[in-house]
Amino acid sequence: MKEADNLSGDAAMQHLDEMTCLMYIERQLDRARAQEVSAHTQDCTVCRTLLRALERESRLLTRAMVEEEEALPARLAQFQERARKSMQWIWTVAFGLAATGVYALYAWYVEPLQRELEKAGFGGSNLLSLLIFQGAFWKGWQPMITLLEVLALVIVAGFTLAFFRRRVRRGSALAVVLAGFCGALLLQPAPALASEMRKGESVGVSRDETIRGDIFLFGDRVRVDGSVDGDVFLFGNDAIVNGHVKGDIIAFAKFLQVNGDVDGNIRAFTNTMTIRGAVARNVLTFVDILNLESAAKVGGSLTIFVENLTLEGTLGRDVLMFGKHFTLSGKVGGGIRMKGDELTINSNAEVDGPIRFEGNKEAEVATGANLASPVEFHKLEHKPRYMQGHYYVWRVIWTAAFVLFGVVLFLLMPKFAAETVAAAELFGAPIGLGVLIFFGVPLAAIIACITVVGIPLGIFAAGFWLLMLCTAEIVVGTVVGIWILGKAHDTAGLIGRMALGLVLVRLVYTGLEQMHVIGLLTGLGILMWGMGAISLALYRRLQPAIAGGASGPYTPPLPPNTTVGGMQPA
Amino acid sequence: MSAPGKTEPTEAIARARTGDADAWGALYREYAAAIFRFCRRALPTREDAEDATMDIFAKLMRDNKLLQYDQSRSFSAWLYRVAANHCWDVLRRRKTRQDKETDDLENVPLEHPDPNQLDKLIEQRTSEEVRRALDKLGARARMALVMRYYSDMSYDEIADALGVRRAFVGVVLLRARHELRQALGQSGALAAGGTS
Repeated sequence: MKEADNLSGDAAMQHLDEMTCLMYIERQLDRARAQEVSAHTQDCTVCRTLLRALERESRLLTRAMVEEEEALPARLAQFQERARKSMQWIWTVAFGLAATGVYALYAWYVEPLQRELEKAGFGGSNLLSLLIFQGAFWKGWQPMITLLEVLALVIVAGFTLAFFRRRVRRGSALAVVLAGFCGALLLQPAPALASEMRKGESVGVSRDETIRGDIFLFGDRVRVDGSVDGDVFLFGNDAIVNGHVKGDIIAFAKFLQVNGDVDGNIRAFTNTMTIRGAVARNVLTFVDILNLESAAKVGGSLTIFVENLTLEGTLGRDVLMFGKHFTLSGKVGGGIRMKGDELTINSNAEVDGPIRFEGNKEAEVATGANLASPVEFHKLEHKPRYMQGHYYVWRVIWTAAFVLFGVVLFLLMPKFAAETVAAAELFGAPIGLGVLIFFGVPLAAIIACITVVGIPLGIFAAGFWLLMLCTAEIVVGTVVGIWILGKAHDTAGLIGRMALGLVLVRLVYTGLEQMHVIGLLTGLGILMWGMGAISLALYRRLQPAIAGGASGPYTPPLPPNTTVGGMQPA
Repeated sequence: MSAPGKTEPTEAIARARTGDADAWGALYREYAAAIFRFCRRALPTREDAEDATMDIFAKLMRDNKLLQYDQSRSFSAWLYRVAANHCWDVLRRRKTRQDKETDDLENVPLEHPDPNQLDKLIEQRTSEEVRRALDKLGARARMALVMRYYSDMSYDEIADALGVRRAFVGVVLLRARHELRQALGQSGALAAGGTS
């Protein structure tokens, strides 16, 4: 009876439309409208029923969607492992591409350019070109080139396989390009590789022996009396070359004597080195004592890091020296540039080019010396840097340069930059890793270079280490900027924080630098922190796959809030 | 939007942001099932859902999208939003003839349901039947219902994901419900003709 009354009352009133009811149970109405609806449904059975039905419908929908009727597919459970493999493959490809690219760059551009430059008479006294682009140091590339070719072949095979297996999709065009690139690379004729290796307590090349190709000699005593129609690589305590070397000499020895003729260059890391023979091209050494005796003739230039240099023989071109004492009694066909303590030029010396000496006291020049021009002397100043005005000018210039460098890096690699900064914010891990990288990488690079075949790897590692060294301050600066301005939400924000932080870091460091030990420790701390963060970000990039077991326990979906009618929440 | 009693995986997120593989593993184990079910409801086939789930996590890892996540908000809500955007992109890319027909239907005026018959229908239908009916809906209708009633996304978030005005979300949801009822085979009976 009561129900019938209600229904007869309902017939007289205006009912709510379905949208209003839905908005009410979804809490999307404003307070006033929600109160109206609430009041209306107190009296109206029809609308109350509709509200209830809509709410039940919502719950039914949620229940139907949330209920688990299917197990998590095995494919998803295996996804982690597949992702790991997939990412490893991508990084292998990336490495292969980079390596082949470097080789192609060298083979197609650098080497021909270098040949042209040498023909034109350039090169010889430039340390970088000596180290990287000239002569025998490249010989170590040969095994690497073979390795690269194998790697390129593997990449081509991998891409082809993946290409036909589907799933490359967006990467297929890249695959074709890469395959073509690697194919072209493989068509490049590989130079013949002929080398010989000898090991022992006492090893060498006997007087009546002729070696066709390069030779590697490892021993306590190494002696080359015969002829070598290639390069000689010496590793030993006591090394003597009496024979004729038609290529270069690369030596890592405590004592090195070169009495014979060398048609190429000498590159040596030794304690004491004496040259009595004729060297057709250049000499580059890191050595304690170097003597070019009166019989010695070097056709090219002399680039040396040395404690004591005595030059009595003849040098065709320039001398570039960093060291302590230089005594000149012979002939220099070019000029001399020296930074060191003392320069003594004896009466029988002859220098055909300009002489520039930067040292503690003026050069001693004997009266009979035959010089093309007087010695240009620059005294080394030992005034504290902070007392010099230009120090601050340069600090400003360098700060601006770092900011600019940071902007370029952040724009080029916004994601990696953000990852690196995020890694830096972990503090402990990047600093720990930074210590390892700071000391470990140069050591590893030196060891790699000693193995000769690892020279490219060593140079690459050292170069990368230097790059990290230059960018470390930028990373730390960005973290400091974030401390001040808070989290950045985009690259522009990150750049702003980097600029602010970097200026502050350099400002503080300029102050601390005057307090020697504290300045040094601060500087090291900044470098290690930044380098560690970069390394950590790189490591994460190289290990992007998710780890853990194949499949975890099922996590039920998160149930939504039940819909309860009312006004829009504040 | 987290489940009751469920805490946010703040530490795992922070570590995953730096690319920590273990942290990614933890997040994947925690959320993969829920995201798969979201995709399963939103996309037409199981294979699509599997692909989408993998794509979502792969993209998250590869692009380190976690950097875009605001830690002051719910992680699962953010993850559902990412999933919703991805699924909607997938659906839009393969806009089928059926979807076009559905678009045409959106101009048809809605009939007011009979509350009692609607109540009765809801009472009679099982979850299984509703799931089957959901599969028959157009992409936008299904997507809207899944976003609202599975992942509890707000109207703003739904509007954002579907690319419609916020004020239009209610209409989309109401039309989706009508489509659902029709798919349940009762729309004719329900439409008893304007009680208002």
